[in-house]
Amino acid sequence: MKDTWQRDVPVFNVPIWTRPFKFFCGLAGLGMILVVYREIAGLGPASGMTDAYAWGIWKTFNTMVLTGLGSGAFAIGIAAWIFNKKNLHVVMRTAVLTSFLAYAFGLCMLAIDVGRPWNFYWFFVPWHWNYHSPLLEVAVCMTVYASIPLFLENIPPILDFVYDRWPDQRPLVKKLDKVIVAGFPYVVSLAYVLPAMHQSSLGALMLLGGNRVYPLWQTPFLPLLYVWAAAFLGFAFVTTTLLFSSMMWNRALDIDVMAELNRLTMWLVGLWLVFRAIDLTLRGSILAAFRFNIFAALFWIEIAILIYGWSKLREAGNTRSPRTMFYAALLVLVGGMLYRFNPTTTAFQPKAGAFYFPSAIELLVSIGFMSLGIAIFLYAAKVLPILPGSNELARKMEAQQATQPGISGFAAAPRAGQFATGD
Amino acid sequence: MSKQLSIAEHLQASGVSRRSFLQLCSTLMATAPFGLALTGKKSVLQIADAIGKTKRPSVIWLHFQDCTGCTETLLRTSAPDVAHLILDVISLDYHETIMAASGAQAEAALHKAVQENAGKFVLVCEGSIPTGRDGLYYEMGGRPGIQVLKEVAAQSAAVIAIGSCASWGGVPSADPNPTGAVGVDSVISGKPVINLPGCPPNPYNLLAVVLEYVTMGKLPALDEVGRPKFAYERVIHENCPRRAHFDAGRFANAFGDEGHRKGWCLYKLGCKGPVTHASCSTRPFNELPNCWPIGAGIPCVGCTEKNVVWKIGTFQTVPIHFPTPPDTYPPVYSSIGKVSMGGAVLVGAVAGAIGGAALMGAKRIPASEPVPATTGEPEAQKPGSSSR
Amino acid sequence: MEISRRELFQKITTGGAAIAASGGISAALTGVAQAEETPQVPPHALGMLYDATLCIGCKTCVVACTQANGLTPDTRTDPLHQAPADLNNHTKTIIKLYKEADGQTSFVKQQCMHCVDPACAAACMFGGLKKDKNTGVVTWNGKYCVGCRYCEVACPYNVPKFRWEGFNPEIVKCEFCKDRLAKGQEPACTTVCPRKAVIFGLREDLLKEAKRRIAANPGKYHEDRVFGEHEGGGTQVLYLSHVPFDKIGLPQPGNESIPQKYLKWQKRLYSYLVLPAGLYAVLAGTIRKNWKDHEEHLEEEEKASGLRAQL
Repeated sequence: MKDTWQRDVPVFNVPIWTRPFKFFCGLAGLGMILVVYREIAGLGPASGMTDAYAWGIWKTFNTMVLTGLGSGAFAIGIAAWIFNKKNLHVVMRTAVLTSFLAYAFGLCMLAIDVGRPWNFYWFFVPWHWNYHSPLLEVAVCMTVYASIPLFLENIPPILDFVYDRWPDQRPLVKKLDKVIVAGFPYVVSLAYVLPAMHQSSLGALMLLGGNRVYPLWQTPFLPLLYVWAAAFLGFAFVTTTLLFSSMMWNRALDIDVMAELNRLTMWLVGLWLVFRAIDLTLRGSILAAFRFNIFAALFWIEIAILIYGWSKLREAGNTRSPRTMFYAALLVLVGGMLYRFNPTTTAFQPKAGAFYFPSAIELLVSIGFMSLGIAIFLYAAKVLPILPGSNELARKMEAQQATQPGISGFAAAPRAGQFATGD
Repeated sequence: MSKQLSIAEHLQASGVSRRSFLQLCSTLMATAPFGLALTGKKSVLQIADAIGKTKRPSVIWLHFQDCTGCTETLLRTSAPDVAHLILDVISLDYHETIMAASGAQAEAALHKAVQENAGKFVLVCEGSIPTGRDGLYYEMGGRPGIQVLKEVAAQSAAVIAIGSCASWGGVPSADPNPTGAVGVDSVISGKPVINLPGCPPNPYNLLAVVLEYVTMGKLPALDEVGRPKFAYERVIHENCPRRAHFDAGRFANAFGDEGHRKGWCLYKLGCKGPVTHASCSTRPFNELPNCWPIGAGIPCVGCTEKNVVWKIGTFQTVPIHFPTPPDTYPPVYSSIGKVSMGGAVLVGAVAGAIGGAALMGAKRIPASEPVPATTGEPEAQKPGSSSR
Repeated sequence: MEISRRELFQKITTGGAAIAASGGISAALTGVAQAEETPQVPPHALGMLYDATLCIGCKTCVVACTQANGLTPDTRTDPLHQAPADLNNHTKTIIKLYKEADGQTSFVKQQCMHCVDPACAAACMFGGLKKDKNTGVVTWNGKYCVGCRYCEVACPYNVPKFRWEGFNPEIVKCEFCKDRLAKGQEPACTTVCPRKAVIFGLREDLLKEAKRRIAANPGKYHEDRVFGEHEGGGTQVLYLSHVPFDKIGLPQPGNESIPQKYLKWQKRLYSYLVLPAGLYAVLAGTIRKNWKDHEEHLEEEEKASGLRAQL
């Protein structure tokens, strides 16, 4: 049913402790236990990393790839605030929360992945930094971004929650509102400059791999392609989140907003593909795509997924079908993730004969952190006004609250027959 | 010394047991497992048979500038029985060290031996030939040794230069070589010359060469400096009993140190094994293992090689040409990393779960654009779909 | 309310101009600050010359290195022998064998190349790996290392190795026996080599010696050149070989060092953070303007719907 998204509303008719939520909490708990094992036993026993592939999936996937998914705040934010697409404001909270979770756990993963974390205090000694190190830029910039602008961008839903739950604190909330209003442009522009810097530095990381990164990926434009991919990954991830949430929690879709997201994603992906093709051709690397080896195969799979995704995006733009948008966004996600992952591991040949595959523990830790992020999102979406909805939906929630006072969004015991359980 | 009887008959007449003879033949087989037609025969009995039928070859042995070490080595072969055996297998018609005659009788003996066996005897030369001052430095019976050599060699069937001195000059030829000492093949031409360098060489090499020539009628294959390949084709290093220590990096660094006492490789003490062609590493002297310099903890000095023994310092290390390293060294590119079974299973499971969830979820997302609601109320639950 | 195409065009032009201007300033500053980006060989660069034609594979250098650096011999793969398969956290130098089916063989000694412009030092976040300004020796200092292993990813020769077990890992690689150097001694490996296959000295002297050997033996050395003179920006460990260099594990990266070749634009664009600052100024200005509209819109909405305005 077509709806108009006017504000963000919590998911208020669903219990917190659903089976999937418990499942993700369990996976997260398992991941944390294995992190303790990693700290005690060392990186070797807890992962498949070797001296040849010194970076396993923790840095390359959880940090380098997942923060790409978490670039929704950056990409959609720029569309909403720089290019003034007003109808995207309502999805900003979803974008900002998913971004924050992706960054927070990406950074946690980085902290767990390093072998001598006690030396991280040099982070606070700028005169001792090696300014040219891309990894330093990533670490500093990401941490500053996640802890300051991105964190601050996530404050408004919490203020709404406080406003609702503790009415006597409303004066304080109003004061804080004023602070936010005053500082908004300055904080938010920082929230766009910093990701531009570190998402491109994530690309610069593999520049130092030199010619050991297969020529189909290695290019001086790797930073630009990475930040551009972060942009469309951010869009695609928010699209997927919105569509999946609406399906799960039976929330109405605002097809105009979705179509706008879809259109922007289509342009980003399309131009990215063209740029990549031109870059490969001008450097002559495109010839490597026609060899019969695993790298060419990887390349074509990646490109095929993205091209098919782009065509689906176009189709969705024409038909305005949510299901097509979902497929399109998924394809773009998979293709983009592949693109950001390949130069770090699958297309990176440190020396002949070297091979890497993550160990089970390594995977479980990675999955654990992803599950933690998902679990927190599931919880937050039910407690805080994150997901977009209409004013009528908000009034319906307030009406329910009036009869069942409590923290907004918390479900009362479901009355038989009226609201079913599930997530 | 009878010359008409065959070797077998002679041995029997001399009271040498067949058992001893067979032992000699098996020693010969061990000396030259390949490279000789004689010892290429399948069994000891066949060798014994071939040798047995042959007439005892006549051997004339001349000494020049020598130390008699080569002769002593021949005589020192294990038990007197075997030395005796060797001397009964060949007919040693003239040998200054062990013959009874001296003086004029000795000269007459040489003359007679050469005359009676002209064209058939094998001439063995021990010691270097001095060429300085017209051969003044060595005279036999008043005549320069070089002249005697030429005369006797002219009547011989083949010449064997035994020892480094006879092969290329040896000790006397060391710098400044005051006597102009040279090897036999620098003096003799027109006759086949076989060099058996060594200081001393292994006596069984001599015996094998002589018997091969006499029994099979041909000389063994020689290398470019006239040394039989069966004995001189390989360098000591290739077959050294201490090679495993070399390959593993265990070296004696100083005489008497721990490595030296443990019998480790002597390369760093200047062992010339890598550049010295000889058979010492496989065929011990006196039929005793370790009865050779390296076995005794003394680095090989390269006594067979003209360009090694008096040219390169005793404790100076040598390059190793044509190394034949074992496969115990790690290769330049080795494989590292493997697929973790648990990891692979997990990746498959997760990919499947996410893919499945996505596809299942997609089915529940409306395929067509939502139509505008008439009442403005949020969509009522569709029948059959559970509220999630 | 959407912005019109004209406004969008204007915005992009002005914004783009501002960004381009900052970019220009940034690049110019880089140009001024670093007169040339080509890395220089340090004035007293120390080096080693390894001649594969002289090496006999005796591995005394491996043993001496282990002893001089206080490492435990690596008996993990073979309990009786110190037999590492590669450089690792117990092994700072190793002898490997290149063997071809046709009998061509060569030994190769591998250890840190002490590059003139090391990728590892460029990668290291807090300067754990540092190249000495005077001698050019690249050393690891645990005080600054966080164990991120970026150096392992960056090194084109796969030299730095990590201790993967246990709680207190380190990066292990050849440091030219820095303790011995401090006492005026040569590194252990060059001291014990029986054939003088690997020798130590000033890099310029070793280059001269290598060229002398090449001139004295034309055709003996592969391509009649010494590896490390220019490769990858130059290395302080030089190699002479009779077999192709890639067969003995020496990659051919071209004459630019990895940091020089690949981090050029990073350095230029981030120089003094001028470009990011410029970008920030443009964005902040734009958002401020758009925010004013948004604020008014929020107030209207709040009045109309009766629900709290969401920022």
